[in-house]
Amino acid sequence: MATRIPMSFTINGDRYEMELPPQRTLLELLRDELGLTGTKESCGAGICGACTVLVDGQPVSSCIKMAFQVKGREITTIEGLAPGGQLDPLQEAFVRHGAIQCGYCTPGMIIIAKGLLLQNPYPSEEEIYEAVGSNICRCTGYVKIVEAVRAVARGER
Amino acid sequence: MAEFSVIGKPFPRIDAKAKAMGDAKYTADMRLPGMLYGKVLRSPFPHARIRQIETARAKGLTGVRAVITAADTPKIKYGLVVDDELPLCDDRVRYVGDEVAAVAAIDRDTAEEALDLIEVEYEELPAVFDPEEALRPGAPVLHEQFPNNVASHLNFERGDIEAGLREAAVVLEETFRTQCHHQYYMENVAALANWSEGKLTIWCPLQFLEIPRQLLAKALNLRLSDIRMIQAYVGGGFGGKLDQKLPVVTALLALKSRRPVLCEHTREEEMQAARPRVPMIIRLKMGARKDGVITAKDTQIIADNGAYSNWAQGILSTAATRVDSAYRYRNIRTDAKLVYTNKTPTGAFRGFGNPQITFAVGSMIDMLARELGIDPAEMHRKNATQTGDVTAHGWVINSCGLTECIDRALERIGWPAKRQQKTFGRGLGVACAIHVSGNRIIGDYDGSAAFVKLNEDGRANVICGEGEIGQGANTIFAQIAAEELGVRYEDVDMSVADTDVTPFALGAWATRVTAIGGNGVRMAARDAKRQLLEAAAEKLEANPDDLVIREGVISVKGLPGRSLTVADAVKASMYKKGGTPVIGRGQFSVDTTVQVGKEKFGNIAPAYSFACQVAEVEVNPETGVVKVLRVVAADDLGRALNPLSAEGQVEGGVVQGLGYALCEELVFEDGRVLEPMEYEVPTAWLAPNVESILVEPIDPFGPYGAKGTGETPLVPVAAVIANAVCDAVGVRITSLPITPEKIRKALKAKQEAAGR
Repeated sequence: MATRIPMSFTINGDRYEMELPPQRTLLELLRDELGLTGTKESCGAGICGACTVLVDGQPVSSCIKMAFQVKGREITTIEGLAPGGQLDPLQEAFVRHGAIQCGYCTPGMIIIAKGLLLQNPYPSEEEIYEAVGSNICRCTGYVKIVEAVRAVARGER
Repeated sequence: MAEFSVIGKPFPRIDAKAKAMGDAKYTADMRLPGMLYGKVLRSPFPHARIRQIETARAKGLTGVRAVITAADTPKIKYGLVVDDELPLCDDRVRYVGDEVAAVAAIDRDTAEEALDLIEVEYEELPAVFDPEEALRPGAPVLHEQFPNNVASHLNFERGDIEAGLREAAVVLEETFRTQCHHQYYMENVAALANWSEGKLTIWCPLQFLEIPRQLLAKALNLRLSDIRMIQAYVGGGFGGKLDQKLPVVTALLALKSRRPVLCEHTREEEMQAARPRVPMIIRLKMGARKDGVITAKDTQIIADNGAYSNWAQGILSTAATRVDSAYRYRNIRTDAKLVYTNKTPTGAFRGFGNPQITFAVGSMIDMLARELGIDPAEMHRKNATQTGDVTAHGWVINSCGLTECIDRALERIGWPAKRQQKTFGRGLGVACAIHVSGNRIIGDYDGSAAFVKLNEDGRANVICGEGEIGQGANTIFAQIAAEELGVRYEDVDMSVADTDVTPFALGAWATRVTAIGGNGVRMAARDAKRQLLEAAAEKLEANPDDLVIREGVISVKGLPGRSLTVADAVKASMYKKGGTPVIGRGQFSVDTTVQVGKEKFGNIAPAYSFACQVAEVEVNPETGVVKVLRVVAADDLGRALNPLSAEGQVEGGVVQGLGYALCEELVFEDGRVLEPMEYEVPTAWLAPNVESILVEPIDPFGPYGAKGTGETPLVPVAAVIANAVCDAVGVRITSLPITPEKIRKALKAKQEAAGR
């Protein structure tokens, strides 16, 4: 049996204690061990942002982050944004503004925007582009994604 | 004009909430009890003979449940147009990435390890990578049934090309080259297959199911109905998920292991072994009169098929014919060849051959206009197809908003004023496009069918197999059903495409779903409504013709007190002696023709969409970097059934087109994709604020006058940008993508020529 390291995490408010092999990525932990499949894998190399989650409020590409690197930390995935089915304002805005087409980049886009707004509730246009511009969406041309984030940043609830 | 309650409204997508919550299940999100993970062993050589495959060590590894090679398959060749492909290579590999063997194991790590234990002895063969070289006598031959490497050859002439060239005041010739362009859908291709109780069930993100099911039945020698295909959520397709090998290999692994098997492409596999856009070399000779009327178009196309064909014959045919119906050509001649090379097989990508040829023709019209000293926009307007035209290929144009697209796009950007304030480094470009709403090319069927089932709570299920691929089809279908039935949009649920449940459907390609699929759903909803009103009429003691349904309530015209809910009417239809549930059936067929033989003549689509785009760019002459400041995209889509969704299609299509125009390219070296992970797609930084203008001429065919718009917005972008770059810095870039390096080189050559 390969080496396993004991570690603990808080994920979407729940506490987990487990033993994982050192090569297990955060993305694999979420999707394969915990069944939190809302977080997507696309490039697998930290380029596209589909796998973005929040670690202590900071956006992180979970496909290139090892699980042991985030032990003891607080992780938020797309499933954690709408506890009890009550949508986060960003989720509402993405739906209403037509910012979702195939939906595959959506969890990562919403999470990176959430990370931005947590740190900076009133971001400039440049800062919105910086956040959205670090993830890839192949469907929307970004126009409506930027609109949705802007709407929440300007107080649309 | 009829007043609509649901049609034409910007409803949010029917599946947007599930997607926003991370609740939508894509193929790779699914798990079945006992599920194995599969992996594919691919050829490292562009062309080689397989001497021997040794699988014993892989089979002996603990946790491995299946190792398959061609020996485990019936070795039946299959393909959409020509049978040139096997599920797994038998004695030869033809490109780097060709499928040689596959394994299924209890986890991913074991599957990977097993792949390394398969030993394949290859004997390398001479390979050919350039389609022009592949045409030369003595070139390596990929498929014995095509001894010249020509997978398809078309040639036709309309009018008198020589007379057209003589009539011209100016004749120009140019060679255009387009690159290999990857769909880069965010969801990598995946498939989950399960063999259980004598049935093979496959969940996958393909854009259609029925044709792949036919091909799979042939390749695996199974009865068609022994295969059930179910569409999972599709994380983008853009044509790339019409033809994929992975579901076939996954099915073989499930059959061998008798366990559910999940296979997923990695991003590297996507870039090396999926089905990117067909690159083309286009030699174009066109002539025009002094007033800008085009008198002749003479075209030669050499298309780089890659190692296998699948859809590429249709793509060649599209490149050879489609753009000809955007303008009132009288004299045209085309010779087009599809040529096998030892590279990744190519396939469908938004526009299906049309962006390639539109880049060439759109650039050429600009070149002619400059030569003649007339406004290029005027040249487009002067030659534009009009409503009522029958084009050079026999296409019947029942609605055409092309001229309106041109006028409105120019007006929005302020064309004449901007053109006068000319400064070096800033430029404007214009180009136009036509696209189909449907394309009669597969087995001479183009129609659609659906069921609409009404529930006892008054809600409706639309059961339709056309499929949702992120383009918004299910939203449009739900709107159509709600409009016809008189219920709220929120009260309609959509089925997933499932070959055991949904009626035969051709699926999401050729921008056919709204116009053709929409009519199928409309018919089914009308049939359900008829049944519903019959039951209600009996209850309300009224004539069915006197009943109206609004927001789920049936009332008697002119008698506001007499009403019944849809829910109660459904119950009234069922719960009585001889009662029946309410199930509407809609079947719809399109009266078009297949473009037959090499001549390619016939009205292939029931409706045609048009577009005009203008862009303003800034080019830095030192670095060659192009900044797209503004794109105005006017799109004739007939009636916009959902403007929010339509705008999304336009914006997304334009930005994909900007990637095609400016940065995206799969570069091959000896058949291998160079730096596959460095493939550059547009991010929000590159994307300008695309301004969409919806031009809505009411089409007589489409539901409520709608046409399709999925592909059209991508088609003209590359020509628009090439023209704007030329306007900005005076150099004509004739190959895609228009990189800073090409611009710098062209500017340098121009300076050197001027200095001489």
